[in-house]
Amino acid sequence: MTYIGAELMISPLGKTTEENRTAMTANRSGISLIADAGFDHQNLFLSKMTDLDGPGKFTRLIIQAVEAIRNEMDDAVLLSERTIFVISSTKGDPEQINDPFNAPVSAVQQKFNLANRPLVISSACISGIVAINTAHHLIHAKLYDHAVVIGCDVLSDFVVYGFQSLFAIGDTPCKPFDAARNGISIGEGCGAVVISASENIFKNAPLQLLAGTTANDANHISGPSRTGEGLFRSVKKTMEKNGIAADELDFISAHGTATVFNDEMESIAFDRLGMSTIPLNSLKGYFGHTLGAAGIIETAASMQMIRNGILFKSLGFQEQGTSKALNIVSGNTVANPETILKTASGFGGGNASLILRSL
Amino acid sequence: MKFITAYAHLKENICAVNGEMICRRDKDSGDSWFKQIYKQQEFVYPKFHKMDVLSQAGFLTSKLIKRANPQFAEKYKDDEIAMLFANQSGSAETDQKFVHAYRNGAPSPSLFVYTLPNIVMGEIAILNKWYGESLFAVLPEFDPEFYINHCHILLSAGSEAVLCSWLEIAGNQIDVFTFLIEKEGENRSEFTADNLSKIAFAGNLHKTEINANY
Amino acid sequence: MDDLKEELKRQLIEQLNLEEITPADIDDDTLLFSDKGLGLDSIDALELIVLLEKYHGIQVTKPEEGKEVFRSVNSMAEYILKRKG
Repeated sequence: MTYIGAELMISPLGKTTEENRTAMTANRSGISLIADAGFDHQNLFLSKMTDLDGPGKFTRLIIQAVEAIRNEMDDAVLLSERTIFVISSTKGDPEQINDPFNAPVSAVQQKFNLANRPLVISSACISGIVAINTAHHLIHAKLYDHAVVIGCDVLSDFVVYGFQSLFAIGDTPCKPFDAARNGISIGEGCGAVVISASENIFKNAPLQLLAGTTANDANHISGPSRTGEGLFRSVKKTMEKNGIAADELDFISAHGTATVFNDEMESIAFDRLGMSTIPLNSLKGYFGHTLGAAGIIETAASMQMIRNGILFKSLGFQEQGTSKALNIVSGNTVANPETILKTASGFGGGNASLILRSL
Repeated sequence: MKFITAYAHLKENICAVNGEMICRRDKDSGDSWFKQIYKQQEFVYPKFHKMDVLSQAGFLTSKLIKRANPQFAEKYKDDEIAMLFANQSGSAETDQKFVHAYRNGAPSPSLFVYTLPNIVMGEIAILNKWYGESLFAVLPEFDPEFYINHCHILLSAGSEAVLCSWLEIAGNQIDVFTFLIEKEGENRSEFTADNLSKIAFAGNLHKTEINANY
Repeated sequence: MDDLKEELKRQLIEQLNLEEITPADIDDDTLLFSDKGLGLDSIDALELIVLLEKYHGIQVTKPEEGKEVFRSVNSMAEYILKRKG
């Protein structure tokens, strides 16, 4: 069995998992109107960590995450030769545009004297889920015993202007799956989880991580598939691989970016999978779209839902806005979700999924 | 057992398939080096011209590998061929072009969509209608162990073949090595770290030799 | 008007990297987004918005507006003249 625990969220909603959970329980959003953020100096809704400034913020966030999670597990694990760090990020350090990953990764490795060079996964918006799945596979293949998986992306003019050029940024805080949705709110933050073959390295009891998969849409590099083919295939493979049927899923933590086409695509895929009645949310209304961090932050939040017996409201959703109906959680709900499906989709046609389960 | 059943090198001045040079850069040509190969190999895919350099390099080397192994694509189902790509600097080459565009005019949407390193795998998936697994990693240097470990994982979890690539392009420096790993391969090199290093390095020798001739 | 159309064809080819196409291959009424025409896609549509601003000083704030405007070189030329009118 593979275990997952020590989950961490760092976002505009807080620097600890507890602060983030408290904010989500109160349905508070990290998204705010940031002055002069756009290419033509427009004010834009972003999920910005307003106290995170100055140079090297990407590296500082990762170091902050490592310092927080080392307290949540057996101290020897951090430095063990049997531990691999997996870092998920789309853009790395935006200040080092010629080589955005190597210097921050070296800095983290040196700071903590890690035995192995961290592995960087950069597969657009599915990076976080791919990183967790990769960690699972590396442990399952007995190449390592433990993995610390960290997802991080920070806001930059580069990313904001880019999404503006795609007309993908909404003019309100994002409203995933809602009829009035009109684009994403970009965010920044950092998430982390620890994955291990051993149950007893965790301070708090871990959950079970079931092997996930990826599948490509083979359709378009930036437009979601009209049929949800890649997401359909990835979820189907993940379910079959683990021998889990749709009626065993208690909840789906979807990707839900709040662009018209993405959310529509997801609704079609979940409908094809016979999952349209399973309670579902998108957490982008709380964190914005944190790109390479999103899959990890949202996995961490899903773990908090299992641990605390609550389904968080899909913030920003009011009225069905997809051609296929979904069972979107419209208010915080007391429940005991035991099995949660987490999905992500992104540029390059990538789709990824994994399953979390209580022990 | 696993085998390296085909491979292609793309360097600053030469392009080689299974160790045989198929194209040498014409320094006097008005066309970009990658476009020279595209034309010389008579590929027809107008979208090629819209791609960034990483995607063009992935397109060319994967097409050449398919051409060298014509039966390979038909052997497998559409989700049985995985892609395992890596490089050192992500999409830095295109990132810089995008920054240049918005500092000197406006952000270009068609550049922005290529400012992610995994897009090249998306382009190859679209070209071939492949729905399989894919992974893009950023490593400090070409590392045979990375490909060995992750091919082992992919091939024991449902994939039947893995198209691998190391594709690092920074300014005028081009170091692209694409190779195909399959479970069967008569008379082909076994997929070991040693063999992979040798084959990857053979491309570098090639490069030195060619450069010396200029 | 004809000069504007010829200019637009050259700009289309340059802005969209349509390297295997010459202005002579594009008729005034060729459908830009049909597979029977130039077969452009959604990213090309956004790039045409950049083109309008860059070469003609016209801002399009909603990509939906582009749908009719970017039907053909004819419709683009008409739109430019109207906006500049």
